[in-house]
Amino acid sequence: MKSDRMRRGRQRGHAMIELALSAGIMIACLSGTFQFGYTFYIYDQLVSAVGNGARYAGSRTYRAASAADIEKGKAAIRNLVVYGNSRPASDAAPVTPNLKPENVQVTWISGEKGVPDAVDVTIVKYPVGAMFGSFNFDHRPLAEFPFVGRYAPSESEP
Amino acid sequence: MAGRRPAPLTLRPISAVVLDVGRKNRQRGFVLIAMSVSMLLLLAVMGMCFDLGRIYIARNEAQVFTDSAAMTAAAKLDGTPAGVVRAREAVAHLPMRWNLGTQPFTGVVIEFSSDGRIWDRDPKDASGLTLARVTAPANGVDIVFLRAAGGPKSFTVPSRSVAGVKPVRLVE
Repeated sequence: MKSDRMRRGRQRGHAMIELALSAGIMIACLSGTFQFGYTFYIYDQLVSAVGNGARYAGSRTYRAASAADIEKGKAAIRNLVVYGNSRPASDAAPVTPNLKPENVQVTWISGEKGVPDAVDVTIVKYPVGAMFGSFNFDHRPLAEFPFVGRYAPSESEP
Repeated sequence: MAGRRPAPLTLRPISAVVLDVGRKNRQRGFVLIAMSVSMLLLLAVMGMCFDLGRIYIARNEAQVFTDSAAMTAAAKLDGTPAGVVRAREAVAHLPMRWNLGTQPFTGVVIEFSSDGRIWDRDPKDASGLTLARVTAPANGVDIVFLRAAGGPKSFTVPSRSVAGVKPVRLVE
């Protein structure tokens, strides 16, 4: 009787250890899957956003009456990447959590006579926090599109 | 003397004892099998998530690249053979990468056409060219997990885009 009770107690102990070990492995696997899956999802969203932003930048009018106008144009491009709209509403939500216009870098590549040849749009210093730790996207993803828009060096941004 | 009566000695039949031991052994085996099967399923789902995620990203990256490359090539066409050369060079110098932004695009095919029906990689007459077509055919994503479950070693995600010399300009 006593040895039977002891055996049952030992079995319960074994079961608890087995459960702890197997649950630990399963939780690690599931959280790892979530971590990678979520990061991939965010990266995929960023690839689309950066591509759309670069295409928009290459097709819009380049106004360069002053440095402020060029900066205003860049701000519109950043807004399109982050919010999907060059003039977002005040309560607009970013395409990915915590993405801000400061995380988008827009670089005009000058061609002949100051006319832009192409535009580079990329994500800089954007941390993606999943469950454990975070991945930092810096200068990736990147998209470069040719400038095919209208060149208006004497016009100001509206 | 009022002593306690000893508990009646009950003997379990030997067949019950054997069955009990057998059941416990079977239970122990069942836990092992259940764990193995569930771990295998979990790993398969995890692998599918990881590998398919990378495939979707590669597809998106390749599509953005070919869109950009086709527009770049078309923008360089000016009706001269030099324009065709410039188009090829411009596409070769695009900084975009794939596989989570780590690998350059290789084997990129650039073709030109004047009517959208006949495409030529090396056109003899450049005067009437109005369209550029770019294909990125060699984006083979290495399959890491699904390979273990009988999946392929790699999965190619080709992409293709066409652009014209008269692009759409935004009024904005």
